[in-house]
Amino acid sequence: MFELLAQTGLNAVYAASYISLVAVGLVLIFGVMGVVNFAHGELFMAGSYVVVALYADRFVPFFVAVAAGLVFVGLLGLLMERALFRPLRDNPLGGLVASIGFLMILQALAVLGFGVRMEHIPPVTQEVIAFSDRVRLPVARLYVIVAAIVMLSLLWYFLKRTRFGWALRASAQDPQAAALQGISVTLTAKIAMFIGAGFAGLAGALTAPLVSVNPYMGHSIIVTAFIVIIVGGVGSLEGAVLASIVYAFVHTFVTTFYDGVLADITGLALMLIVLIVKPTGLFGSADRA
Amino acid sequence: MITKAFNGGFSRRMFLKSSAVTALGAALPNVTLAAGETIKIGFLAPLTGAVAAWGTPGLEGCKIWAERVNEAGGIKLEDGEHKIEFVSYDNEYDPAKARTGATKLIREDGVSFVMMLGGDTWPGVQPVADKTGMLFSTLLPSDLSPDTPTLLAPTEVHPIYLVTGVEWLAENRPELKTAVMCAQDDALGLPSVATYLAAFEAAGIEMQDEPLLFDPATTDFAPVVTRLLSTNPDIVCLDTCYSDYVHPICEQLFQQGFKGQIISATADFYDQIIAKTSKEFMEGFIFQFPDFDDPALNADNINFPDPNGFYAEYNKRYPGQWGAVSWEYASIMELWKAGAEKAGSVDPDAVLAAMQEGGKGQHAFGEAEWWGEELFGINNALVGDWPVVVIEDGKATIKGFKSIPAWYDKHGDLLIKHMTAYDQMWNQRS
Repeated sequence: MFELLAQTGLNAVYAASYISLVAVGLVLIFGVMGVVNFAHGELFMAGSYVVVALYADRFVPFFVAVAAGLVFVGLLGLLMERALFRPLRDNPLGGLVASIGFLMILQALAVLGFGVRMEHIPPVTQEVIAFSDRVRLPVARLYVIVAAIVMLSLLWYFLKRTRFGWALRASAQDPQAAALQGISVTLTAKIAMFIGAGFAGLAGALTAPLVSVNPYMGHSIIVTAFIVIIVGGVGSLEGAVLASIVYAFVHTFVTTFYDGVLADITGLALMLIVLIVKPTGLFGSADRA
Repeated sequence: MITKAFNGGFSRRMFLKSSAVTALGAALPNVTLAAGETIKIGFLAPLTGAVAAWGTPGLEGCKIWAERVNEAGGIKLEDGEHKIEFVSYDNEYDPAKARTGATKLIREDGVSFVMMLGGDTWPGVQPVADKTGMLFSTLLPSDLSPDTPTLLAPTEVHPIYLVTGVEWLAENRPELKTAVMCAQDDALGLPSVATYLAAFEAAGIEMQDEPLLFDPATTDFAPVVTRLLSTNPDIVCLDTCYSDYVHPICEQLFQQGFKGQIISATADFYDQIIAKTSKEFMEGFIFQFPDFDDPALNADNINFPDPNGFYAEYNKRYPGQWGAVSWEYASIMELWKAGAEKAGSVDPDAVLAAMQEGGKGQHAFGEAEWWGEELFGINNALVGDWPVVVIEDGKATIKGFKSIPAWYDKHGDLLIKHMTAYDQMWNQRS
């Protein structure tokens, strides 16, 4: 039983890692721009396809392809900011609808470029850290865990310890007051979109060899990310990280000890309970909820 | 104008009668062909989306089949030879889109026969089939019911053929006594679960755990595999998981240290699974869909023309894309072609009668019988032998053909018991 618990715990840590990267990006975009980015799952998918194009098809080293995925999807975020969200800055519903349109465009581009079938990505490594016969951590999964810890730590440092980070937080709290202090709302929006989208791209790129990459893979991750940000508190980065960990552990343990369908129901029930008990989420503030 | 027509002797009764006749005419499929006119066949399957792997390769196979038939002169009906052409409609595995597609194919395109994947999309299409009397085929006989006598399952008798893999396993590796199973919770997964449970019970293999069902949206299979391996099973059964699941599950089984037997309905793109695991890990993997370059398919009883040549042509055009359904829709067409040529027409009723004449049919894997009344309420599934395929030295190899009806004669009660428990009998489906 101990081995089963330990292996399940390792599985949950991995799940929490990539979910938190996606959810934090989604929260950052919402926090700074006030837009619910429905295309976030497709940004995750785009990161995976960068790895397909560079690592699987052109034999570029995996970590170079991952870095390219982060940058490419970050640039896609900048494109969304300029073409979709900036013209609709005072129209959050319009931004939401525009992001749904962008979602469809990205899916269609993936179908046109790569087809509808699952992509084959060679394993990055087959090395496994074996704690015992039944407790094993594949090194490819360890990469995801380490990347999430490093990137989230860097983001925390950026937001809490740098002037750009303070500007970003000020814009998120009160865009008008921030503008009166000379902070460029447009620049902070660009930074938020680049980081938020880039994190989704990074998560997609890192996990690409571990999942089935196809044009529709963004569906499930966006549902999970929405559950997580609602539980964590819409607009709260700390809440998104904590909720990712809670959700990943609950989902993984319920899947292992009961079944996957019940795990999904439990995840949704968790969201409903939080909405009833604390509608602003674990770390959310009333003005953003 | 209408008043004038009525005043001129066109009575209300006549108006209603002629309206009814017109409506009936519009409802019935247009299956009359002019001499030499190209026969159109509807291909109504998911061509995009998560289930596209069960549609697109089949359409590709059909195009190759049609080229071969057309080069040989076409289909020979009473009024001469007709070329054949496929009209596809992507239903995205959505019942509403499938219904729209069926209507369009019949009304606008004038197809003579519609092939489907079936499953979750069949409830959308069934009213169209019932209304028009069009002949449809499905890959999933679990769609069959007496309500729609024009729906056939002439090639893939999913999931009933799965019993052959377990039967072969029990005969050849009798030391394996325990099994676990996982499946996606959908119309493809659940009847398979019931079938595998019956097959394992018949083979004396003990299930160590309830089948583990997962959401079709699952992408991370580590928790699923951890659960499967928690009881140290001899056999892990992957049910009828889509290849999007089979690959990551196998990779997880490999990474979590499993060294036992794997059995699955399919192993599409198994070379990629080997690349992600190892040749040694995949050695002995049992599934049910052969590569058509297998020498065993050159036997006289195989009713698929030039299987090796078809496989070579498919791989030339679509390298690395051969999968479970690449040949199946073409095989259905082979049966339909024989039926149409025997009937001398493409009329759905005439073709259906010709196909089922004598209660026997020439299935791709040998002569088979129209079967299924106990399970599906109607004898519209063509059931006979099915191959058991094993990966040996990195290559799929047919190890033998086993009879589904023979298994059913001995263990049919088990299958009905488990199908009933999972609400998969035809009279339990809503």
